[in-house]
Amino acid sequence: MKRLVVTGGKGGTGKSFIATNLAVLFAKKHHVVLADLDVEAPDDHVLLGIKELSNREEAKAFLPFIDTSKCTRCGVCAKVCDTGAILMPPKGFPVVFPRLCSGCTACYYACPYNAILKGYHVLGYSYVTKHPSIENLVLVTGVLREGEEHTPPVVVNVKKRAENTARDLLLIDTGAGTGNQIAISLKDADLVLAVTEPTPLGLHDLEAVLKITYEMGLKTWVVINRSGLGSIEKHVKTMKEYNVEKYFQVPFHRDAVDSYVKGVPVVEYKPGSIVSKSIYSIYTETENTLYGGGND
Amino acid sequence: MPKKIAFVTDKGGLDDRIYERFGRAPTFTIVEVGDNGEILSIKVVENPGFKAGSGAGIKAVQKLIDEGVEIVIGPNPGPNAYLALQQAGIKSISMLGVTVREALERFLSGK
Repeated sequence: MKRLVVTGGKGGTGKSFIATNLAVLFAKKHHVVLADLDVEAPDDHVLLGIKELSNREEAKAFLPFIDTSKCTRCGVCAKVCDTGAILMPPKGFPVVFPRLCSGCTACYYACPYNAILKGYHVLGYSYVTKHPSIENLVLVTGVLREGEEHTPPVVVNVKKRAENTARDLLLIDTGAGTGNQIAISLKDADLVLAVTEPTPLGLHDLEAVLKITYEMGLKTWVVINRSGLGSIEKHVKTMKEYNVEKYFQVPFHRDAVDSYVKGVPVVEYKPGSIVSKSIYSIYTETENTLYGGGND
Repeated sequence: MPKKIAFVTDKGGLDDRIYERFGRAPTFTIVEVGDNGEILSIKVVENPGFKAGSGAGIKAVQKLIDEGVEIVIGPNPGPNAYLALQQAGIKSISMLGVTVREALERFLSGK
């Protein structure tokens, strides 16, 4: 199984746009699992025209419960809790604040009296949805519950489900930013595509994400979306600093917007468009690199 | 019975001003007051919530509990700290824009 990860740092650069279009192209030749790990705002299903997500499962995280028949009120659990989710009051038993708990289980292992019971809380959900018309395309979607503070446990959970579903290509679409959940999404990637745009913000966040992929030793290429908006001189310079061997440009064009409005990937909506052609070239290069080429 | 009163502070001490944030305050100035309002001891402790990644309010309140504080004077606590103070049975009094000395005087005179 091969892993291709689409990321980029800045929000709104077109990560999901590139990921969904590549998924459609790859699905012509490969079995594709597209994992939408942007759990704070998953929308790949919207771009793919999938009306309803199916096969819901809960994304659970450990949550401590106190066995008051065993608890001696020693306070060790509160001391080891890194997120401050356990309070040891002067009277009574430890108090757990579920919202603050990241599910790390430190308290469970630290308690000398085995007084911590393993409970769980639901941080979000995962879905596995077959694309209604593209046979080789399965979408795995993660959704964080409203108001939850802990994104990484949900991403880990959803990524696992996607890994269990994938057999040929796992195409991951990450969220914005450079948080822990992005590193989790990037881990074990065979190839990373960092999507950015020709703006100072795009440049700034591209560098932030390249630092991470460089540190993680991941082969990374760059996609400059909305090309034509501004200069990419500094982008190219930054790419050199981080050993990016290759970059692509997707033009700033109305066809991309129209496909968005229609809710159909542009490579399906207008295969002849210059936007589609530029994405097609990303597809052939990535496919070649991942699968060695020569199979056509 | 002497009482331990904590003040939410920056550098700490009687002349420091009350800090604007509860859980993220750098220090607590803990003043032990006797039955007649006399100051028995003054101690400045670091607030573990100051550098905490998360749960600052809870960590701050835990420190107050461990120090045996009964009353805390400072800004309004955040939602987590508020719940923790309730659980701990520590009384919270809002006072801002004054020094620790002034806050203590106000508290002792019942204003």
